Amino acid sequence: MGMISEREAAKYPFLGDAVKLVDVLNLTLEDLSDPSHAAVLDRAEDRVSRAIIRGEADAQLSDTITELLSFPVSNMYVMVLGEDFLKRRYALSEAVRASGILLEENDDRIAKMGRVEFDWTLRLVREHMDGRQFSFELYFKDYLRNASAFREPKWKLVNRLVRDGYVLLTRPEAVRLLQEEIQRKIARFVAKSQKINLPEPLQERADRLSKLLDENRSRLTGGELPKKVLMEAIPPCINYALEGLMAGRRAGHMERFALTSFLINAGMEIDDIVKMFISVTDFDEEFTRYQIEHIAGLRGSRTRYTPPTCATLRTHGVCHNPDRLCEHVKHPLSYYRIKVRDHEREEAERQERQQ
Amino acid sequence: MSSQAWGSEQYVMGRFKSFYSTGAARVDPPTELKRREFGFLSFGGKSMFRHIGFDDTPELRKYMQDYSPAHSYFSAAYYEDPRAPMSSKGWLGADLVFDIDADHFDLPCQKVHDRWMCRTCGREGMGHPPDLCPGCGKSTYVEENWLCEECLNAAKYEAQKLLDILIRDLGFSPSNELSVNFSGNRGYHVHVRSPSVKDLNQMSRRELVDYILGLGLEVEFQGFTSRPVGGGSTLQESGWRMRSAQAIYDLVSDLDEGSASSLNMGKKAFQKLLEDRDAILEVLMESHPSGVLRYVSKKTLDALMEAAVGRQASAIDTVVTTDLRRLIRLPNTLHGKTGWLTQNVPIDDLPDYDPLVASIAFKEGTVRIYIRRTPEISVAGEAYGPFEEEEVELPMAVAMFILCRKAGRVAR
Repeated sequence: MGMISEREAAKYPFLGDAVKLVDVLNLTLEDLSDPSHAAVLDRAEDRVSRAIIRGEADAQLSDTITELLSFPVSNMYVMVLGEDFLKRRYALSEAVRASGILLEENDDRIAKMGRVEFDWTLRLVREHMDGRQFSFELYFKDYLRNASAFREPKWKLVNRLVRDGYVLLTRPEAVRLLQEEIQRKIARFVAKSQKINLPEPLQERADRLSKLLDENRSRLTGGELPKKVLMEAIPPCINYALEGLMAGRRAGHMERFALTSFLINAGMEIDDIVKMFISVTDFDEEFTRYQIEHIAGLRGSRTRYTPPTCATLRTHGVCHNPDRLCEHVKHPLSYYRIKVRDHEREEAERQERQQ
Repeated sequence: MSSQAWGSEQYVMGRFKSFYSTGAARVDPPTELKRREFGFLSFGGKSMFRHIGFDDTPELRKYMQDYSPAHSYFSAAYYEDPRAPMSSKGWLGADLVFDIDADHFDLPCQKVHDRWMCRTCGREGMGHPPDLCPGCGKSTYVEENWLCEECLNAAKYEAQKLLDILIRDLGFSPSNELSVNFSGNRGYHVHVRSPSVKDLNQMSRRELVDYILGLGLEVEFQGFTSRPVGGGSTLQESGWRMRSAQAIYDLVSDLDEGSASSLNMGKKAFQKLLEDRDAILEVLMESHPSGVLRYVSKKTLDALMEAAVGRQASAIDTVVTTDLRRLIRLPNTLHGKTGWLTQNVPIDDLPDYDPLVASIAFKEGTVRIYIRRTPEISVAGEAYGPFEEEEVELPMAVAMFILCRKAGRVAR
């Protein structure tokens, strides 16, 4: 074989060639349970712990074979624990680890990663603009696949130099985008959930990780929403849409969809939503109910729809009167959740004072 | 007289059928015909006939001849099985499509030829209906919308700006990858057919929409940095760096005392702007744009950019482009609200293209119609009307236009 060095594979264990290198070693779970491999199991447990606690794994490259072998083992721990949000967090943690190492590489190595592993259409350049050094031009399709999820204004395509289909990037920016690709790739590694019988040395570590996950769970996943919709907590965009509905203002599709899907996700009963709609419009009740039930996931494709993100609402002109809190959220439900939490805290304090 | 009589539907249907008896042969099939879903609206129909597929072009054309629909559409998307219900069609990808509709703009000519009436209190007005009726506070209206050379030119201008962005910024080939259609009513559609866009997801399409609208543009990323940095004028560069500088340049050049009201800035800032106008223009032409911030504050610059960005952006419809399963009009088919053709326009011909000449379908004959009310209408260089409660004999194209808009009926 000999196409990839052990060190290179240890740095980036998700590379196709790195996976092949591990496969060649042909290790079984029994092999790994042997005390001689204890370091591998420990490091694997360590990688998952860091994902849970910090969301970010480090690189330990002094012992490259242990580092390399710990990756498939940590993947396995994640699959055995089986929880979706851990999988997401682990993929992110490992991707951050990889991008940290990548940032120290030269431009050619970074370009090779993009082109070979992720089919990027990428050009190496040397350009100086606004006092910054740019090293890459990435085809807009590859750029958008990775950057359209980012929120900061500097990532919006409109704030980048786009020329002949290519987007100009600095090294750190290119690495950040690669991090997204790597995160998706690692998420695929752990996508399956496996209930396998682990040998004792692996099972005891998996149990420890399970306990660690439980201890950190509520910190990581955010709380439930109250059953009845709290009107004081609804975001300005939804409020505007609601007021418009009451006034009979003819709303566009996106505004209606945002309002309906928000109310459903905030816990309003479908009957109440229907009643509200038909009381102010001349919509047919049966058709209105059908549409609302469709959004709620009770009909058709049975997908329950969540409201669009703030960015989408802005594009379609549905964002109105954003306030201070809006600057900190990317989704109307996040706004609602935060306001509900604040409200509940205030309520609790008020009740305490009355006692 | 019931409103059903207005528009003489049977007559219009007959004309459409007669048109399609030969016109069907010129209906333009989209690429990968077998992978597209088709949809058709019949006259007086409320819902679309969807989930229709054709195995070859003759089959499509025969359908057009047999049914002569009021409106004909095909999907921007490609499907494994276009005839299957939505959830099982098997989405394979979609063209990138853009819709420019003058109806969405605010144009002075709309105050002349568009009319609204509040359904609740009867209050009337010209142009776009207001958000809330000034008479009763409600928001449901009856609208009579027409079009004219001005609306069509405005739409064409937006289409040209869009094409410029698609070609220069995004690198699409005008000869191979882009096609432009007159919509058959008040605007243009641009289709991008390319492997680089076929499997773009919704978020990516939304980001492209934002790019074309200039939405979210922040001046510090366009060269208007807070600290002076090396470099030259961005007017000759590319992308939004060039466009934003150009937009500010044009706006500042055009400023006069009357501009103050349309700008989001205080009186003092505006006066200073007028005083420093020449210096600002010189900076934009000769030096790095960060130099502008020697004369205006960031706040003022943001206000200028807000007002200027529309000059360079293209006013595309946001919903159409982000809809992965959009149905769009089929070229060389009739538009049931006008009697014009949805017509492909070669990009090089666009500057001189006049839809009111080129997209006429009903070229022969005249017909006598009784007209309720129309503004002045211009077709093929001739002006007709305005008409009100009168009977007139008109060339077929003009009469069909009025009938399709339900503003007249065939005289007895």
